[in-house]
Amino acid sequence: MMPEVSPMLIYHLVALFLLCTGLFGVIYRRTLVGMILGIELMLNGAGLSIMASAQLTPTPNEIGQVGTLLVMGIAAAEATLLLAIVLVVTRRFKGVEAARLATMRG
Amino acid sequence: MPSQSLAYAVLFGHVAFIVVGALMTVLSQNLVRALVGLIMTLFGVAGLFFLMSAPFIGLMQILIYVGAVSILIFFAIMLTQSWSSGDEAQGPSRKRAVLASLTALAPALFLGLTIIFKSPPSLLVAEETEVSALGRFLLEPYILPFELISLLLTVAMAGAVILGFERRKQR
Repeated sequence: MMPEVSPMLIYHLVALFLLCTGLFGVIYRRTLVGMILGIELMLNGAGLSIMASAQLTPTPNEIGQVGTLLVMGIAAAEATLLLAIVLVVTRRFKGVEAARLATMRG
Repeated sequence: MPSQSLAYAVLFGHVAFIVVGALMTVLSQNLVRALVGLIMTLFGVAGLFFLMSAPFIGLMQILIYVGAVSILIFFAIMLTQSWSSGDEAQGPSRKRAVLASLTALAPALFLGLTIIFKSPPSLLVAEETEVSALGRFLLEPYILPFELISLLLTVAMAGAVILGFERRKQR
């Protein structure tokens, strides 16, 4: 039987959709920048899921809000580093296609 | 109850916004347009945070993601010249699309069944938390993650600066 649709289920389904779309994007895109977009989608879905789990159940709300803030902080740090890495890759390989990054050399 | 159906209408409006934005993000040929789709999604998720009565986190979402992260990604697009005339212009192959869809469907199947059939009963309306309570929570029991995230941000910033200074070595 199907359980009734609760608000938390809707939020979790949206978060799951963001995760799946992000995964799809990471594999489907050919450039590094396109992959970054997919990663941001996945991180956002994680934040949404954490928030919904804490706000809509008897769990203390602060845990979910602080957890979402930490996810946002990690996403910001990750975006900063990825920008620098993408710049270095562009300088060395003259492009950001993932298939072109096939050499390992210091 | 009219206010409840209005709330559901607002919720599904945000969900539609998120879905359209996410599909734009992964499917658009033009990377700048994909970034616009990502910003749409981020605004939609911020709206969901407001709906879950967490306005502070919603504002942080707009400030951090829309204000900082998407600008960084825009700089990445601009500096690598990977817009429509660049690398992403010729569309990916069909085989890659099939593989990507399969990869995306695997967690959708397992996690989807889990959250549909195993989710605990949920409240209809979340209660609001004061920002002062949030700050006290962050500085008393959660002080270690708080300090760790500051350390992480500092290290990431320093690493980005060092990577930016890197000169190409002469062969």
